[in-house]
Amino acid sequence: MTAGESGAPAAAIEGAGAQRRLGGFALQEYALVIVVVLLFVAGAILKPDSFPTWDNVRNMLTQASVVGVLAMGMTFVIATSGIDLSVGSVLAAAGMFGGILVDPEGSTLLFIVGAVGFATLLGTVNATAISYGRVVPFIATLAMFSIARGIALLLNDKLPVSLLDLNGGSFGDPAAFSLLWFGTGRILGIPISVYVFLGITIGAWILLNRTRYGRFVVAVGGNRQAAKIAGVPVRRTIFSVYMLMGVLVGVAAVLLCARLGSASPVSGNLYELDAIGAVVIGGTSLAGGRASIVGTFLGVLTFALIFSLMTQLDLSTEVQQVTKGAIVLGAVLLQRPEARL
Amino acid sequence: MSLRRLLIAVAAAALLALGAAACSDDDDEGGGDGGANAAETTSQESGSPASGGDGGPVTIVASVPPTDHGWLGAISKNAEEAAEQFDDVDFRLLEAADSDSQAQQIEQVISDKPDALVVLPQDGEALTPVAQKAENAGIPVINVDRLFSAPDAATATILGDNYQIGVSAADYIGEELGCQGKVVEIQGLAGISVTEERSKGFTDELKKVCPDGGIEIVAKQPGDFNPDTGLKVMENILQAQDQIDAVYTHDDDMAQGVVQAIRNAGREDEMFLTGVGGSQDAMAQIKEGGLYRATFLYNPSMAASAVNMARLVALGEGFSELVPPEVPRQVIVPAATVTQENVEDYEEYAFN
Amino acid sequence: MGGSVDSATTPVLEVRGLVKEFPGVKALVGVDFDVRAGEVHCLLGPNGAGKSTLIKCVSGVVEPTGGEIYLGGELLPVGDPAASLERGVATIYQELDLVDDLTVAQSVFLAHEPRRGPLLDLDRMSKETTALLARLGHAGIPPRAKISSLRPAAQQVVSIARALSRDVRLLIMDEPSAILDEGEIETLFNVVRRLTADGVAVIYITHRLDEIRRIGDRVTVLTDGRTAATGLAASTPTNELVELMVGRAVEQLYPERPVGRGEVVLEVRRLRRLPEVRSVSLELRAGEVVGLGGLVGAGRTELLRLIYGLDEADEGEVYVDGTQLPPNRPDRAIAAGLGFAPEDRKSQGLLLDWSLTKNVSLADLGRFQRGLLNVRAERTAALEQLRALKTVPDDPDRRVGDLSGGNQQKVVLARWLLRHCRVLLLDEPTRGVDVPTKAELYRVITALAEEGLAVLVVSSELEELIGVCTRILVMREGELVFEIEGSKATEHELLRYAVAPTESEDFIEEVG
Repeated sequence: MTAGESGAPAAAIEGAGAQRRLGGFALQEYALVIVVVLLFVAGAILKPDSFPTWDNVRNMLTQASVVGVLAMGMTFVIATSGIDLSVGSVLAAAGMFGGILVDPEGSTLLFIVGAVGFATLLGTVNATAISYGRVVPFIATLAMFSIARGIALLLNDKLPVSLLDLNGGSFGDPAAFSLLWFGTGRILGIPISVYVFLGITIGAWILLNRTRYGRFVVAVGGNRQAAKIAGVPVRRTIFSVYMLMGVLVGVAAVLLCARLGSASPVSGNLYELDAIGAVVIGGTSLAGGRASIVGTFLGVLTFALIFSLMTQLDLSTEVQQVTKGAIVLGAVLLQRPEARL
Repeated sequence: MSLRRLLIAVAAAALLALGAAACSDDDDEGGGDGGANAAETTSQESGSPASGGDGGPVTIVASVPPTDHGWLGAISKNAEEAAEQFDDVDFRLLEAADSDSQAQQIEQVISDKPDALVVLPQDGEALTPVAQKAENAGIPVINVDRLFSAPDAATATILGDNYQIGVSAADYIGEELGCQGKVVEIQGLAGISVTEERSKGFTDELKKVCPDGGIEIVAKQPGDFNPDTGLKVMENILQAQDQIDAVYTHDDDMAQGVVQAIRNAGREDEMFLTGVGGSQDAMAQIKEGGLYRATFLYNPSMAASAVNMARLVALGEGFSELVPPEVPRQVIVPAATVTQENVEDYEEYAFN
Repeated sequence: MGGSVDSATTPVLEVRGLVKEFPGVKALVGVDFDVRAGEVHCLLGPNGAGKSTLIKCVSGVVEPTGGEIYLGGELLPVGDPAASLERGVATIYQELDLVDDLTVAQSVFLAHEPRRGPLLDLDRMSKETTALLARLGHAGIPPRAKISSLRPAAQQVVSIARALSRDVRLLIMDEPSAILDEGEIETLFNVVRRLTADGVAVIYITHRLDEIRRIGDRVTVLTDGRTAATGLAASTPTNELVELMVGRAVEQLYPERPVGRGEVVLEVRRLRRLPEVRSVSLELRAGEVVGLGGLVGAGRTELLRLIYGLDEADEGEVYVDGTQLPPNRPDRAIAAGLGFAPEDRKSQGLLLDWSLTKNVSLADLGRFQRGLLNVRAERTAALEQLRALKTVPDDPDRRVGDLSGGNQQKVVLARWLLRHCRVLLLDEPTRGVDVPTKAELYRVITALAEEGLAVLVVSSELEELIGVCTRILVMREGELVFEIEGSKATEHELLRYAVAPTESEDFIEEVG
């Protein structure tokens, strides 16, 4: 009788579901798919030798994975009508924390546990301030944005920490499960960080669309009063999304440091804007109540494609900025009016 | 009713104005100790350098951009260490987030009336007005590294020559490649004078040294002085370019990301790389040889020199080598080319 | 009831064969209708019948596709709001279109302020505002008061004054009593009577049949875009009106009152939260429908919220089946078998952007989750409940915001039915719902009671309480002051207890 949950785009969007709306939401996601395809085609035409190659696709996906992991977490946060401005700074702080744990000696495992643990801790601080301290998310995470950056700079006196010792094997062929392996190692030709990114994307989709928790998250953002009356544990839900964000920031920190071969206190600069941008052009509403993992994924790909294409074309910064802004605006305009928050 | 409101508004405005006037005359923002104030009050007149000679300490305030970077970190450290060498110096270092904040900070400092101001502006042009203001208020300004755009904005200037760095890099790369090959330039933060000068120096000199155009700059992208941006940008450039012979980067720290990208792609034998700044990592890699061949630096120790100069100006003294002793208006610290051959000479200046 | 109705003269408004088609929808298919000077003509009909479209055509907001409109015998240029305004047509909407920060005088004269040269003549504005308000019997409203400081009833008077300031001949009122309580409604009627005495014609849209009897002169029933009957006397029996609306015979509006069985399901002891609720104790038995009557501000909604745990009580306990509920925990109340349908179903009851399924299942998601959510089972279960309540449309994938008020209410009820709750707390469940759907809701509620549920209903419609409830409690200023069996209650008596003896007629209190 109706499409129900069987149509893939409809199923991917929490908060839709009406047959009448199926066309609309599908248009929005299809719009982004069109943008992605157009960008790829443009790249293939303008740089036929280097753009449409497996190598480049791998490259772009790898580059997308750090912001991609962040964007997945950000989708949950924004779905509760919250926001997290601290992710870039926390990423740097987490990397630095892991770095000083393994400096001068340590194992990859220690680094990972340290980085993810520290990021989760900072995320929990955000969560507490917002859900129990009743601080507005914008303000609480803005404060953390500053604090975490300060911590990142303080931990090693403003200097980066080299992590190359955490590698075994050589550069082209890192030892399995060494830190660099997470950055550049491959299984079946696909980089590990891409597996991590895709894995997290799938996990996020399942969590948002096929669990009670996911419903609660979107309900809290959609109508907090009504959610509370229906028995949704509002405070706990809000707490959890910022903590979850912390965990994912830690993972992203590991991926970035793995590729850089070092933990840098100035990394992650403005990543929060990239993450938020990807989430928003993907159709998730900043006001909360409607979220789409598929949309975020496409948003992340869009930004990765834009960056890769423009760098390879060697466009000057000014041209890059104007073009990026225009593409984002175009992607948003292609969406339905309700999605244009 | 509305008349009453008008009166209240006027009274409130008057109170605010009064409060603002009172606060700006205020002392201590917590930096120096109480003794500083006594000395400050004597250093009023414009033109004549100040006070410290009467026995009180010389107050020097340094204003620098955000120390989010190794070289700048070394600057701050060097300045602080230099100040500590002297008993008669009361030193305070202020970091600002951007040009606007730096200007505001300096404005506030002016009302504290320090004996001298050392400024490394985030952007020379943007901070020229506030530096002029300081000079007009009788506070001598020592301009470090990034030049103000007006001559009356500083009593003395000490800088490294960014343009010269570009020139040295072009000389080196031109020679190593025999004026034949493809070069990639990874720039610093787009739009600031440091970046523009390093870039311009490079391109201008290349034209002179290799007039036949055998050297082609195939890519020029900003790396924001930041290793992860350097990494991402280089990854894409490596994708786009089949053959690269040399990479000219504007900064050693940023270059670490660039180096990593090249290594990850397994193409370190294909090209060589140069940096700027003289970080320990860079020196170590240059010593080892291989991908990282050279760096160009002007020493962050110039900050220490600046503090020394500031103290001399505040005390009304000068360089004893000059006859009569005075502090020269402009000191240009040369850019050195550091390669495997001479790296040992420069290691002690490396910032880490 | 009305003013001087003169049947010999030309009617103030005459509508002939009005047709309005939107793309895909025929809102009006030939409406004939007339209103005389000094008359209160009630407009009745189910939601979607076309009442709104009709009045929008008259006020010029919508341009009809066919037919004519005559004001005072002259053909009205259609689709032109300014034209209608000039000819003395004014509309008071349910959501009053007033701006909170403007003063009374500014609102009354908005867009046609008296001037002295280029500047506003504030003095004249003030004086004339007071004069207009006096015509309505409300000279006490200060012209300089801000709209936000007035109670809804007073705001409504300001709206009417604004209409008067433009020399209104035809005043259209769209469900004006929806935001008022009993006392205020009577005051509103006094205002209307003054207007009609002056010769103003009034179109009064309402769902409340008792109001038609009290204030109306004639009635027109609209269904499906046509006039089912027009010009009926206001004294026409309710059943006839309902039949005309629904198009078929309806046995009665109210089903048989449920009787109630023995065991006490919900017990409330000395529940208190100052200043709204001042120590309330009550018992609810299985199978009962207990009504909670009283004026707006008596504390009824607050009481329900306290029982459910949304607000924290200063004192008192709530027991379900003898076990005490932990305070301030709606999730535990739900687990114990309580369900709550709030007064404002759109902003508090439902997630308007969500599908029916998701709204219905929200309180009971645990049932469908074995690891992951079984969305198919969820949808089936929701559909079952929606069908049982005869929700239209019952497509579980539709967006709930698209449904009519009555059907939205059914979705809220479906949620609690899915959970098999034992006690239902309903706050104004039939507000904004049309008469046929009301009848259905009454049936549903009584059927649920017969199955053993206990229902506590808050309502401002005394007739409704008397018709449906086993027992009626009256609340006044935070306390229960009266209890009576539904079969023995009269509106007069309930009203008497609802109104405090010392309360003055002046309802223009500053909102604290």
